[in-house]
Amino acid sequence: MQRFLSSSPEETEQIAERLAKTLSGNEVIAMFGGLGAGKTAFTRGLARGLGAGDCVSSPTFALVNEYEGRFPIYHFDMYRVATYDDLYTTGFFDYLGSGIMVIEWSENIEGLLPDEKMTVTIRPVSEEQREITIEGAQTI
Amino acid sequence: MRILAIDTSACPVSAALMEDGFLLGEFFLNTKTTHSQTLMPIVESLLRAAAVDIKDIDVFAVNTGPGSFTGVRIGTASVKGLSMPLDKPCASVSTLEAMAYGLPYDSGIACAVMDARCSQVYNALFRLNGHEPERLTDDRAVSIEDLADELAGYSERIYLAGDGAELCARAFDGRLTNVVLPPQNIRYQHAYGTACAAQRLIRENRLLSSDALMPLYLRLPQAERELKKKQSGGKPDQ
Repeated sequence: MQRFLSSSPEETEQIAERLAKTLSGNEVIAMFGGLGAGKTAFTRGLARGLGAGDCVSSPTFALVNEYEGRFPIYHFDMYRVATYDDLYTTGFFDYLGSGIMVIEWSENIEGLLPDEKMTVTIRPVSEEQREITIEGAQTI
Repeated sequence: MRILAIDTSACPVSAALMEDGFLLGEFFLNTKTTHSQTLMPIVESLLRAAAVDIKDIDVFAVNTGPGSFTGVRIGTASVKGLSMPLDKPCASVSTLEAMAYGLPYDSGIACAVMDARCSQVYNALFRLNGHEPERLTDDRAVSIEDLADELAGYSERIYLAGDGAELCARAFDGRLTNVVLPPQNIRYQHAYGTACAAQRLIRENRLLSSDALMPLYLRLPQAERELKKKQSGGKPDQ
């Protein structure tokens, strides 16, 4: 388990960029953390670190956004996913193993996440500060 | 009578061309490529190589499920699109039944299994007789454990087919000694099996119009419970 303290969204992005360097192309990255924790900022850093540029937007309405970097990146938002059918009909299971899957609001599908995964938990410490915990990843 | 059959229900993709019960040609690919990109070139090259015009197809057959959400939709939508402008009928085939048709054994049980995740499989059982598989169960979602218990009631050979075959073979290992993992060329679903199943639907007058063709999904009640269990108790501290 690795712990980081971030004082700004920019710093959160930098930590994610470092994580991106360790990825091999088909990881599942389950993100936990409430509204405004910085999950999208983290994903933005991750995508940039994977050479996809500044392309990240929140997939709250689309459910999944796809970006092309060194590997395909599938950016999910499970905020509105409440049932197994909801999850199945996003095509979630069809994406597994075909690229890097970054999953915001993993809380909502925790029971159906694959065993093989990384978890990123972002916890507000103060208005600006965030504690970022990464499990299942190489040392960054 | 010419049948064009396609399967995109899981990882493999295939197309087969059958004329009066004779397999003219088949194209099978089992890579990780996207069916939406591979299916049409496969259909096109199969027809061209066999020198058959799409207008000369009498029935379009497709595995309409069970299977992956996207895969089943790609297959169903493609066959709708191919058949509609030509005003030709469609055969809606169960992926599991197509697998049973692909097994060339004249006795024993066909156990078609597709990995539905969460230790569950989409499954149906058929008795093989060398002609047309005789259905023993409906298509259903079942846990691998429950399936093992049920299979213990059969003493004849049980042939596994589908992308859940290896998964089940491992799970059954040591418990069921009559289970057989057939060679790869017949283990996975093939459009050949789809075409065979379509012949029966033609004979029994059970074809559909393009607009009546629909994806058929199976519910996974256990996965729903799994999700709810974690949602109510497993949230990390905020």
